[in-house]
Amino acid sequence: MTKKNIPALSRPLFLRAASMLLATGFLISGTAHADATLDKIKQRHKLVVGVLLSGGPFGSIDPANQKPLGWNVELAQDIARQLGVELETVQVQPSNRVQLLQQGKVDILIAGMEWTPERNEILSFAPTPFYKVGGVAIVPKESAIKHWEDLRGKEVCLSQGSNYAKPLTTEYGASVKGFKGSAESLLALRGSNCVAAVHDATLLQPLVNGNPDWKNYRTLTPELIPGNSVVWTRKGEQDTVAAIDKIVQGWHKSGWLISTEKKLNIAPASAALVELHDKFKKS
Amino acid sequence: MLQLLSQLVAALKGIGLNYDFLLAADERSAFLHGLVVTIQLSLATIVFSLLAGFALAAMLVSRTRWIAFGARAFVEVTRNTPTLVQLYCAFLVLNMLITQALKASGGNPLTPFIWVVLVISLHKGAFHAESLRAGIQAVPAVTLEAAASLGFSRRRQLWLVQLPLAVRFALPSLINNLVDLVKMTTVASAIAVGDVTYQSIMIWTQRDNVLELMLLMLAFFGLLTYLVNLAGRRLEHHLRMPGYGG
Repeated sequence: MTKKNIPALSRPLFLRAASMLLATGFLISGTAHADATLDKIKQRHKLVVGVLLSGGPFGSIDPANQKPLGWNVELAQDIARQLGVELETVQVQPSNRVQLLQQGKVDILIAGMEWTPERNEILSFAPTPFYKVGGVAIVPKESAIKHWEDLRGKEVCLSQGSNYAKPLTTEYGASVKGFKGSAESLLALRGSNCVAAVHDATLLQPLVNGNPDWKNYRTLTPELIPGNSVVWTRKGEQDTVAAIDKIVQGWHKSGWLISTEKKLNIAPASAALVELHDKFKKS
Repeated sequence: MLQLLSQLVAALKGIGLNYDFLLAADERSAFLHGLVVTIQLSLATIVFSLLAGFALAAMLVSRTRWIAFGARAFVEVTRNTPTLVQLYCAFLVLNMLITQALKASGGNPLTPFIWVVLVISLHKGAFHAESLRAGIQAVPAVTLEAAASLGFSRRRQLWLVQLPLAVRFALPSLINNLVDLVKMTTVASAIAVGDVTYQSIMIWTQRDNVLELMLLMLAFFGLLTYLVNLAGRRLEHHLRMPGYGG
Protein backbone atom coordinates (compact mmCIF):
# COMPACT_ATOMS: atom_id res chain seq x y z
CA MET A 1 0.00 0.00 0.00
CA THR A 2 1.50 3.35 -0.97
CA LYS A 3 1.49 6.39 1.33
CA LYS A 4 -0.64 9.29 0.07
CA ASN A 5 1.71 12.15 -0.71
CA ILE A 6 0.75 15.73 0.09
CA PRO A 7 1.89 17.75 -2.97
CA ALA A 8 5.17 19.41 -1.97
CA LEU A 9 3.98 22.94 -2.68
CA SER A 10 1.11 22.67 -0.21
CA ARG A 11 3.19 21.54 2.74
CA PRO A 12 3.13 24.13 5.58
CA LEU A 13 6.93 24.23 5.93
CA PHE A 14 7.45 24.96 2.24
CA LEU A 15 4.87 27.76 2.26
CA ARG A 16 6.49 29.38 5.29
CA ALA A 17 9.97 29.17 3.83
CA ALA A 18 8.84 30.55 0.48
CA SER A 19 7.05 33.53 2.01
CA MET A 20 10.09 34.30 4.19
CA LEU A 21 12.35 34.23 1.15
CA LEU A 22 10.09 36.59 -0.79
CA ALA A 23 9.81 38.93 2.20
CA THR A 24 13.60 39.07 2.49
CA GLY A 25 13.74 39.99 -1.18
CA PHE A 26 11.33 42.89 -0.63
CA LEU A 27 13.27 44.09 2.41
CA ILE A 28 16.64 44.14 0.67
CA SER A 29 15.23 46.22 -2.19
CA GLY A 30 14.35 49.00 0.24
CA THR A 31 17.84 49.59 1.72
CA ALA A 32 19.67 52.62 0.41
CA HIS A 33 23.35 53.49 0.55
CA ALA A 34 23.57 56.55 2.78
CA ASP A 35 27.15 56.24 4.10
CA ALA A 36 29.49 59.16 3.40
CA THR A 37 32.01 57.66 0.99
CA LEU A 38 34.52 60.45 1.39
CA ASP A 39 34.64 59.97 5.17
CA LYS A 40 35.06 56.25 4.68
CA ILE A 41 37.91 56.81 2.22
CA LYS A 42 39.70 59.14 4.63
CA GLN A 43 39.11 56.79 7.55
CA ARG A 44 40.40 53.70 5.78
CA HIS A 45 43.16 55.78 4.16
CA LYS A 46 42.37 53.94 0.93
CA LEU A 47 40.49 54.72 -2.27
CA VAL A 48 39.05 51.78 -4.22
CA VAL A 49 38.60 52.63 -7.88
CA GLY A 50 36.87 50.43 -10.44
CA VAL A 51 38.83 50.63 -13.69
CA LEU A 52 38.14 49.19 -17.09
CA LEU A 53 41.15 47.25 -18.36
CA SER A 54 39.96 46.09 -21.77
CA GLY A 55 43.35 46.48 -23.40
CA GLY A 56 45.05 49.33 -25.23
CA PRO A 57 46.44 52.56 -23.84
CA PHE A 58 43.32 53.33 -21.80
CA GLY A 59 43.56 50.34 -19.54
CA SER A 60 45.47 47.10 -19.72
CA ILE A 61 47.49 44.72 -17.59
CA ASP A 62 51.28 44.73 -17.88
CA PRO A 63 52.16 41.13 -18.80
CA ALA A 64 55.56 41.39 -17.10
CA ASN A 65 54.35 42.10 -13.55
CA GLN A 66 50.53 41.74 -13.83
CA LYS A 67 50.01 45.34 -12.72
CA PRO A 68 47.25 47.46 -14.24
CA LEU A 69 48.38 50.43 -16.31
CA GLY A 70 46.98 52.95 -18.74
CA TRP A 71 44.89 56.12 -18.79
CA ASN A 72 42.22 54.97 -16.32
CA VAL A 73 44.87 53.82 -13.86
CA GLU A 74 46.91 57.05 -14.14
CA LEU A 75 43.81 59.10 -13.39
CA ALA A 76 42.96 56.89 -10.43
CA GLN A 77 46.51 57.19 -9.07
CA ASP A 78 46.44 60.98 -9.30
CA ILE A 79 43.05 61.24 -7.57
CA ALA A 80 44.37 59.07 -4.73
CA ARG A 81 47.54 61.15 -4.53
CA GLN A 82 45.62 64.42 -4.33
CA LEU A 83 43.26 63.04 -1.69
CA GLY A 84 46.27 61.85 0.27
CA VAL A 85 45.25 58.19 0.42
CA GLU A 86 46.43 54.87 -0.98
CA LEU A 87 44.95 53.46 -4.15
CA GLU A 88 43.43 50.06 -4.75
CA THR A 89 42.23 49.29 -8.27
CA VAL A 90 39.56 46.73 -9.08
CA GLN A 91 39.12 45.58 -12.64
CA VAL A 92 35.51 45.96 -13.81
CA GLN A 93 33.59 44.92 -16.91
CA PRO A 94 30.81 46.85 -18.64
CA SER A 95 28.40 44.14 -17.51
CA ASN A 96 29.11 44.41 -13.79
CA ARG A 97 30.56 47.88 -13.17
CA VAL A 98 27.32 49.50 -12.01
CA GLN A 99 26.57 46.59 -9.65
CA LEU A 100 30.08 46.70 -8.15
CA LEU A 101 29.66 50.43 -7.45
CA GLN A 102 26.17 50.01 -5.99
CA GLN A 103 27.29 47.18 -3.72
CA GLY A 104 30.15 49.23 -2.31
CA LYS A 105 32.90 47.02 -3.71
CA VAL A 106 34.38 50.13 -5.35
CA ASP A 107 34.10 53.78 -4.29
CA ILE A 108 34.24 55.41 -7.73
CA LEU A 109 34.30 54.26 -11.33
CA ILE A 110 36.80 55.35 -13.95
CA ALA A 111 35.56 52.90 -16.53
CA GLY A 112 35.01 54.68 -19.80
CA MET A 113 31.37 55.29 -18.93
CA GLU A 114 29.90 58.19 -20.83
CA TRP A 115 27.11 60.27 -19.41
CA THR A 116 23.65 58.97 -20.41
CA PRO A 117 20.22 59.91 -19.02
CA GLU A 118 19.65 56.31 -17.83
CA ARG A 119 22.92 56.25 -15.88
CA ASN A 120 22.18 59.73 -14.54
CA GLU A 121 19.05 58.37 -12.86
CA ILE A 122 20.79 55.71 -10.85
CA LEU A 123 24.24 57.19 -10.17
CA SER A 124 25.93 60.52 -9.40
CA PHE A 125 28.93 61.85 -11.30
CA ALA A 126 31.59 64.54 -11.23
CA PRO A 127 30.28 67.08 -13.76
CA THR A 128 33.60 67.94 -15.41
CA PRO A 129 34.40 65.31 -18.04
CA PHE A 130 37.90 63.90 -18.36
CA TYR A 131 37.49 62.66 -21.91
CA LYS A 132 35.09 62.57 -24.80
CA VAL A 133 34.66 59.37 -26.75
CA GLY A 134 32.13 57.75 -29.03
CA GLY A 135 31.61 54.34 -30.54
CA VAL A 136 33.08 53.02 -33.74
CA ALA A 137 32.36 49.77 -35.53
CA ILE A 138 35.13 47.42 -36.57
CA VAL A 139 34.51 45.39 -39.73
CA PRO A 140 36.66 43.19 -41.99
CA LYS A 141 38.37 45.23 -44.73
CA GLU A 142 36.45 43.54 -47.56
CA SER A 143 33.07 43.88 -45.85
CA ALA A 144 30.19 45.58 -47.66
CA ILE A 145 29.45 47.75 -44.64
CA LYS A 146 30.50 51.31 -45.46
CA HIS A 147 28.08 53.38 -43.40
CA TRP A 148 26.22 52.92 -40.13
CA GLU A 149 23.00 52.55 -42.15
CA ASP A 150 24.37 49.37 -43.75
CA LEU A 151 24.01 47.65 -40.37
CA ARG A 152 20.23 47.57 -40.66
CA GLY A 153 18.93 44.07 -39.98
CA LYS A 154 22.45 42.73 -39.40
CA GLU A 155 23.95 41.28 -36.24
CA VAL A 156 26.33 43.47 -34.27
CA CYS A 157 28.46 42.31 -31.34
CA LEU A 158 29.06 44.52 -28.32
CA SER A 159 29.56 44.26 -24.55
CA GLN A 160 26.65 43.64 -22.18
CA GLY A 161 26.09 47.01 -20.52
CA SER A 162 27.31 49.07 -23.46
CA ASN A 163 25.33 52.23 -24.08
CA TYR A 164 25.67 51.77 -27.85
CA ALA A 165 22.96 49.11 -27.80
CA LYS A 166 20.13 51.60 -27.76
CA PRO A 167 21.18 53.85 -30.68
CA LEU A 168 22.12 50.78 -32.74
CA THR A 169 18.71 49.20 -32.31
CA THR A 170 16.50 52.28 -32.39
CA GLU A 171 18.31 54.45 -34.96
CA TYR A 172 20.00 51.92 -37.22
CA GLY A 173 17.79 48.86 -36.77
CA ALA A 174 20.67 46.48 -36.11
CA SER A 175 20.18 43.40 -33.95
CA VAL A 176 22.68 43.47 -31.09
CA LYS A 177 24.31 40.56 -29.33
CA GLY A 178 25.88 41.35 -25.98
CA PHE A 179 28.90 39.44 -24.75
CA LYS A 180 30.51 39.43 -21.35
CA GLY A 181 33.34 41.77 -22.36
CA SER A 182 35.02 43.30 -25.38
CA ALA A 183 37.39 40.34 -25.65
CA GLU A 184 34.57 37.84 -26.22
CA SER A 185 32.80 40.27 -28.54
CA LEU A 186 35.86 40.74 -30.74
CA LEU A 187 36.46 36.99 -30.78
CA ALA A 188 32.88 36.47 -31.96
CA LEU A 189 33.53 39.01 -34.75
CA ARG A 190 36.60 37.08 -35.87
CA GLY A 191 34.47 33.92 -35.94
CA SER A 192 32.00 35.68 -38.27
CA ASN A 193 29.20 35.41 -35.74
CA CYS A 194 28.39 39.06 -36.45
CA VAL A 195 29.18 41.51 -39.25
CA ALA A 196 30.62 44.21 -36.97
CA ALA A 197 31.61 44.87 -33.37
CA VAL A 198 30.89 48.25 -31.78
CA HIS A 199 33.03 49.53 -28.92
CA ASP A 200 34.67 52.75 -27.75
CA ALA A 201 36.85 54.44 -30.35
CA THR A 202 39.61 54.47 -27.74
CA LEU A 203 39.61 50.66 -27.74
CA LEU A 204 39.25 49.95 -31.46
CA GLN A 205 41.38 52.65 -33.10
CA PRO A 206 44.67 51.41 -31.55
CA LEU A 207 43.79 47.90 -32.76
CA VAL A 208 43.41 48.79 -36.42
CA ASN A 209 46.21 51.33 -36.29
CA GLY A 210 48.90 49.27 -34.69
CA ASN A 211 47.95 45.68 -33.93
CA PRO A 212 49.19 43.13 -36.52
CA ASP A 213 46.36 40.69 -35.64
CA TRP A 214 43.86 43.27 -36.82
CA LYS A 215 45.51 44.42 -40.06
CA ASN A 216 42.62 43.05 -42.16
CA TYR A 217 40.03 45.13 -40.36
CA ARG A 218 38.94 48.74 -40.60
CA THR A 219 36.74 51.04 -38.55
CA LEU A 220 33.54 52.84 -39.41
CA THR A 221 33.30 56.52 -38.64
CA PRO A 222 31.82 59.04 -37.72
CA GLU A 223 31.74 58.20 -34.03
CA LEU A 224 28.45 57.01 -32.60
CA ILE A 225 26.94 59.19 -29.84
CA PRO A 226 30.18 60.82 -28.64
CA GLY A 227 29.70 61.44 -24.96
CA ASN A 228 31.58 62.89 -22.02
CA SER A 229 33.54 60.34 -19.99
CA VAL A 230 33.01 61.21 -16.35
CA VAL A 231 33.90 59.73 -12.97
CA TRP A 232 30.85 57.99 -11.45
CA THR A 233 29.89 57.63 -7.80
CA ARG A 234 26.88 56.22 -5.96
CA LYS A 235 23.73 58.32 -6.02
CA GLY A 236 23.71 61.20 -3.56
CA GLU A 237 27.44 61.23 -2.74
CA GLN A 238 27.76 65.00 -3.05
CA ASP A 239 30.96 65.36 -1.00
CA THR A 240 32.84 62.81 -3.06
CA VAL A 241 31.54 64.34 -6.28
CA ALA A 242 32.69 67.83 -5.22
CA ALA A 243 36.16 66.63 -4.24
CA ILE A 244 36.70 64.72 -7.48
CA ASP A 245 35.31 67.51 -9.63
CA LYS A 246 37.83 69.91 -8.12
CA ILE A 247 40.62 67.48 -9.00
CA VAL A 248 39.43 67.04 -12.59
CA GLN A 249 39.18 70.80 -13.11
CA GLY A 250 42.72 71.10 -11.77
CA TRP A 251 43.86 68.56 -14.38
CA HIS A 252 42.40 70.59 -17.20
CA LYS A 253 43.86 73.82 -15.84
CA SER A 254 47.37 72.44 -15.56
CA GLY A 255 47.24 70.56 -18.84
CA TRP A 256 48.15 67.32 -17.02
CA LEU A 257 45.61 65.33 -19.03
CA ILE A 258 47.09 66.47 -22.34
CA SER A 259 50.61 65.53 -21.22
CA THR A 260 49.36 62.14 -19.94
CA GLU A 261 47.66 61.55 -23.28
CA LYS A 262 50.94 62.22 -25.02
CA LYS A 263 52.88 60.05 -22.59
CA LEU A 264 50.62 57.06 -23.24
CA ASN A 265 50.73 57.57 -27.04
CA ILE A 266 46.98 57.94 -27.35
CA ALA A 267 46.34 58.84 -30.95
CA PRO A 268 44.62 60.76 -32.41
CA ALA A 269 45.03 63.47 -29.74
CA SER A 270 41.62 64.52 -28.48
CA ALA A 271 40.41 67.96 -29.50
CA ALA A 272 38.04 67.95 -26.54
CA LEU A 273 40.94 67.94 -24.08
CA VAL A 274 42.47 71.00 -25.75
CA GLU A 275 39.10 72.76 -25.60
CA LEU A 276 38.65 72.00 -21.91
CA HIS A 277 42.25 73.05 -21.14
CA ASP A 278 41.62 76.44 -22.77
CA LYS A 279 38.33 76.83 -20.93
CA PHE A 280 39.78 76.14 -17.48
CA LYS A 281 43.07 77.99 -18.09
CA LYS A 282 41.09 81.20 -18.36
CA SER A 283 39.07 80.71 -15.16
CA MET B 1 -4.22 44.40 -20.59
CA LEU B 2 -1.63 47.19 -20.56
CA GLN B 3 -3.79 49.05 -18.01
CA LEU B 4 -3.64 46.06 -15.67
CA LEU B 5 0.12 45.85 -16.15
CA SER B 6 0.63 49.56 -15.31
CA GLN B 7 -1.42 49.09 -12.14
CA LEU B 8 0.64 46.07 -11.16
CA VAL B 9 3.94 47.91 -11.80
CA ALA B 10 2.73 50.91 -9.75
CA ALA B 11 1.67 48.61 -6.91
CA LEU B 12 5.06 46.87 -6.89
CA LYS B 13 6.85 50.23 -6.94
CA GLY B 14 5.07 50.90 -3.66
CA ILE B 15 7.06 48.09 -2.03
CA GLY B 16 10.27 49.29 -3.65
CA LEU B 17 10.48 46.98 -6.66
CA ASN B 18 11.15 48.67 -9.99
CA TYR B 19 9.44 46.72 -12.77
CA ASP B 20 9.35 49.66 -15.22
CA PHE B 21 10.92 47.53 -17.92
CA LEU B 22 7.59 45.71 -18.29
CA LEU B 23 6.04 48.93 -19.56
CA ALA B 24 8.64 49.45 -22.30
CA ALA B 25 7.37 47.52 -25.33
CA ASP B 26 10.76 46.46 -26.71
CA GLU B 27 12.18 45.28 -23.36
CA ARG B 28 8.96 43.49 -22.45
CA SER B 29 8.87 41.61 -25.76
CA ALA B 30 12.58 40.81 -25.47
CA PHE B 31 12.01 39.32 -21.99
CA LEU B 32 9.01 37.28 -23.15
CA HIS B 33 11.03 36.08 -26.13
CA GLY B 34 13.72 35.03 -23.66
CA LEU B 35 11.18 32.92 -21.76
CA VAL B 36 10.17 31.22 -25.00
CA VAL B 37 13.80 30.55 -25.99
CA THR B 38 14.54 29.02 -22.59
CA ILE B 39 11.57 26.69 -22.94
CA GLN B 40 12.70 25.75 -26.46
CA LEU B 41 16.25 25.12 -25.23
CA SER B 42 14.99 23.00 -22.34
CA LEU B 43 12.78 20.85 -24.56
CA ALA B 44 15.43 20.41 -27.26
CA THR B 45 18.17 19.54 -24.78
CA ILE B 46 15.93 17.13 -22.83
CA VAL B 47 15.13 15.18 -26.00
CA PHE B 48 18.63 15.13 -27.47
CA SER B 49 20.44 14.51 -24.19
CA LEU B 50 18.22 11.48 -23.51
CA LEU B 51 18.96 10.15 -27.01
CA ALA B 52 22.68 10.73 -26.51
CA GLY B 53 22.49 9.15 -23.05
CA PHE B 54 20.81 5.99 -24.30
CA ALA B 55 23.27 5.63 -27.18
CA LEU B 56 26.26 6.17 -24.89
CA ALA B 57 24.92 3.77 -22.26
CA ALA B 58 24.46 1.06 -24.89
CA MET B 59 28.05 1.65 -26.03
CA LEU B 60 29.37 1.62 -22.46
CA VAL B 61 28.09 -1.89 -21.76
CA SER B 62 29.04 -3.26 -25.15
CA ARG B 63 31.14 -6.41 -25.30
CA THR B 64 33.25 -4.92 -28.11
CA ARG B 65 36.36 -3.53 -26.40
CA TRP B 66 36.97 -0.50 -28.60
CA ILE B 67 33.36 0.70 -28.52
CA ALA B 68 33.23 0.49 -24.76
CA PHE B 69 36.62 2.16 -24.40
CA GLY B 70 35.69 4.99 -26.79
CA ALA B 71 32.44 5.63 -24.94
CA ARG B 72 34.19 5.58 -21.57
CA ALA B 73 36.81 8.07 -22.79
CA PHE B 74 34.08 10.37 -24.12
CA VAL B 75 32.10 10.21 -20.89
CA GLU B 76 35.16 10.97 -18.77
CA VAL B 77 36.26 13.93 -20.90
CA THR B 78 32.81 15.53 -21.12
CA ARG B 79 31.92 15.01 -17.49
CA ASN B 80 35.19 16.34 -16.17
CA THR B 81 35.33 19.63 -18.08
CA PRO B 82 33.10 22.61 -17.22
CA THR B 83 30.10 23.20 -19.50
CA LEU B 84 30.90 26.87 -20.00
CA VAL B 85 34.44 26.10 -21.12
CA GLN B 86 33.13 23.46 -23.53
CA LEU B 87 30.64 25.96 -24.91
CA TYR B 88 33.25 28.68 -25.40
CA CYS B 89 35.59 26.18 -27.06
CA ALA B 90 32.87 24.97 -29.39
CA PHE B 91 31.38 28.33 -30.26
CA LEU B 92 34.38 30.64 -30.34
CA VAL B 93 36.97 28.20 -31.68
CA LEU B 94 35.36 25.22 -33.42
CA ASN B 95 32.67 27.36 -35.01
CA MET B 96 35.31 29.76 -36.34
CA LEU B 97 37.25 26.86 -37.90
CA ILE B 98 34.09 25.45 -39.47
CA THR B 99 33.15 28.87 -40.85
CA GLN B 100 36.58 29.27 -42.41
CA ALA B 101 36.47 25.77 -43.89
CA LEU B 102 32.98 26.24 -45.31
CA LYS B 103 33.57 29.79 -46.57
CA ALA B 104 33.81 28.61 -50.16
CA SER B 105 30.82 26.27 -50.11
CA GLY B 106 28.16 28.64 -48.84
CA GLY B 107 28.74 29.43 -45.19
CA ASN B 108 28.19 27.87 -41.82
CA PRO B 109 24.64 26.64 -41.13
CA LEU B 110 25.20 26.12 -37.42
CA THR B 111 23.56 28.87 -35.37
CA PRO B 112 24.51 29.61 -31.76
CA PHE B 113 21.24 27.98 -30.67
CA ILE B 114 22.29 24.74 -32.36
CA TRP B 115 25.71 24.90 -30.71
CA VAL B 116 24.15 25.35 -27.27
CA VAL B 117 21.79 22.40 -27.80
CA LEU B 118 24.65 20.25 -29.12
CA VAL B 119 27.11 21.00 -26.33
CA ILE B 120 24.59 20.76 -23.48
CA SER B 121 22.98 17.58 -24.87
CA LEU B 122 26.34 15.83 -25.16
CA HIS B 123 27.41 17.07 -21.73
CA LYS B 124 24.23 15.88 -20.02
CA GLY B 125 24.15 12.75 -22.20
CA ALA B 126 27.31 11.61 -20.41
CA PHE B 127 25.53 11.97 -17.06
CA HIS B 128 22.47 10.12 -18.37
CA ALA B 129 24.76 7.36 -19.65
CA GLU B 130 26.21 6.82 -16.19
CA SER B 131 22.73 6.69 -14.60
CA LEU B 132 21.57 4.20 -17.22
CA ARG B 133 24.72 2.12 -16.85
CA ALA B 134 23.91 1.76 -13.16
CA GLY B 135 20.41 0.70 -14.15
CA ILE B 136 21.61 -1.76 -16.80
CA GLN B 137 24.09 -3.38 -14.47
CA ALA B 138 21.43 -3.64 -11.78
CA VAL B 139 19.43 -6.06 -13.88
CA PRO B 140 19.88 -9.43 -12.17
CA ALA B 141 22.16 -11.88 -13.97
CA VAL B 142 19.50 -14.54 -13.52
CA THR B 143 17.09 -12.55 -15.70
CA LEU B 144 19.75 -12.23 -18.41
CA GLU B 145 20.51 -15.93 -18.33
CA ALA B 146 16.80 -16.67 -18.62
CA ALA B 147 16.60 -14.37 -21.63
CA ALA B 148 19.67 -15.99 -23.23
CA SER B 149 18.21 -19.40 -22.68
CA LEU B 150 15.08 -18.33 -24.51
CA GLY B 151 17.17 -17.39 -27.54
CA PHE B 152 17.36 -13.59 -27.16
CA SER B 153 20.37 -12.19 -29.05
CA ARG B 154 22.62 -9.63 -27.30
CA ARG B 155 20.85 -6.78 -29.06
CA ARG B 156 17.34 -7.96 -28.25
CA GLN B 157 18.42 -8.63 -24.66
CA LEU B 158 19.55 -5.03 -24.40
CA TRP B 159 16.48 -3.58 -26.04
CA LEU B 160 13.72 -5.81 -24.61
CA VAL B 161 15.07 -6.90 -21.23
CA GLN B 162 17.87 -4.68 -19.94
CA LEU B 163 16.78 -1.21 -21.06
CA PRO B 164 13.13 -1.35 -19.82
CA LEU B 165 14.33 -2.48 -16.40
CA ALA B 166 17.28 -0.07 -16.46
CA VAL B 167 14.99 2.88 -17.18
CA ARG B 168 12.82 2.00 -14.19
CA PHE B 169 15.86 1.71 -11.93
CA ALA B 170 17.52 4.84 -13.29
CA LEU B 171 14.42 7.08 -13.58
CA PRO B 172 14.90 9.10 -10.36
CA SER B 173 18.51 9.76 -11.36
CA LEU B 174 17.52 10.69 -14.91
CA ILE B 175 14.88 13.14 -13.69
CA ASN B 176 17.52 14.57 -11.35
CA ASN B 177 19.77 15.15 -14.38
CA LEU B 178 16.91 16.74 -16.33
CA VAL B 179 16.18 19.23 -13.54
CA ASP B 180 19.86 20.19 -13.59
CA LEU B 181 19.68 20.39 -17.39
CA VAL B 182 16.91 23.00 -17.32
CA LYS B 183 19.09 25.18 -15.13
CA MET B 184 22.15 24.50 -17.28
CA THR B 185 20.48 26.13 -20.29
CA THR B 186 21.42 29.46 -18.70
CA VAL B 187 25.00 29.06 -20.01
CA ALA B 188 23.49 30.02 -23.35
CA SER B 189 23.67 33.62 -22.14
CA ALA B 190 27.46 33.51 -22.46
CA ILE B 191 27.26 33.26 -26.25
CA ALA B 192 24.36 35.67 -26.65
CA VAL B 193 21.67 33.13 -27.53
CA GLY B 194 18.79 35.18 -26.16
CA ASP B 195 17.47 32.97 -23.37
CA VAL B 196 15.87 34.54 -20.30
CA THR B 197 19.23 35.02 -18.52
CA TYR B 198 20.73 36.88 -21.48
CA GLN B 199 17.67 39.12 -21.84
CA SER B 200 17.73 39.83 -18.11
CA ILE B 201 21.43 40.78 -18.26
CA MET B 202 20.80 43.11 -21.20
CA ILE B 203 17.93 44.76 -19.31
CA TRP B 204 19.61 45.10 -15.95
CA THR B 205 22.83 46.54 -17.34
CA GLN B 206 20.75 49.44 -18.63
CA ARG B 207 18.23 49.81 -15.81
CA ASP B 208 20.07 48.36 -12.82
CA ASN B 209 17.06 46.37 -11.57
CA VAL B 210 18.97 43.17 -10.86
CA LEU B 211 16.86 42.09 -7.87
CA GLU B 212 13.55 42.44 -9.69
CA LEU B 213 14.78 40.40 -12.64
CA MET B 214 16.33 37.80 -10.36
CA LEU B 215 12.98 37.31 -8.61
CA LEU B 216 11.28 36.79 -11.98
CA MET B 217 13.94 34.33 -13.11
CA LEU B 218 13.81 32.39 -9.84
CA ALA B 219 10.05 32.09 -10.15
CA PHE B 220 10.28 31.02 -13.80
CA PHE B 221 12.97 28.38 -13.29
CA GLY B 222 11.22 27.16 -10.17
CA LEU B 223 8.11 26.61 -12.26
CA LEU B 224 9.98 24.85 -15.09
CA THR B 225 11.88 22.50 -12.80
CA TYR B 226 8.69 21.79 -10.85
CA LEU B 227 6.98 20.75 -14.09
CA VAL B 228 9.91 18.47 -15.00
CA ASN B 229 9.78 16.96 -11.53
CA LEU B 230 6.01 16.47 -11.77
CA ALA B 231 6.35 14.74 -15.12
CA GLY B 232 9.06 12.55 -13.64
CA ARG B 233 6.89 11.53 -10.69
CA ARG B 234 3.98 10.68 -12.99
CA LEU B 235 6.29 8.61 -15.18
CA GLU B 236 7.73 6.81 -12.16
CA HIS B 237 4.25 6.01 -10.96
CA HIS B 238 3.21 4.82 -14.42
CA LEU B 239 6.27 2.59 -14.86
CA ARG B 240 6.41 1.25 -11.32
CA MET B 241 6.99 -2.41 -10.75
CA PRO B 242 5.00 -3.78 -7.81
CA GLY B 243 7.42 -5.19 -5.29
CA TYR B 244 10.37 -3.09 -6.46
CA GLY B 245 9.77 -0.11 -4.16
CA GLY B 246 7.31 1.82 -6.33
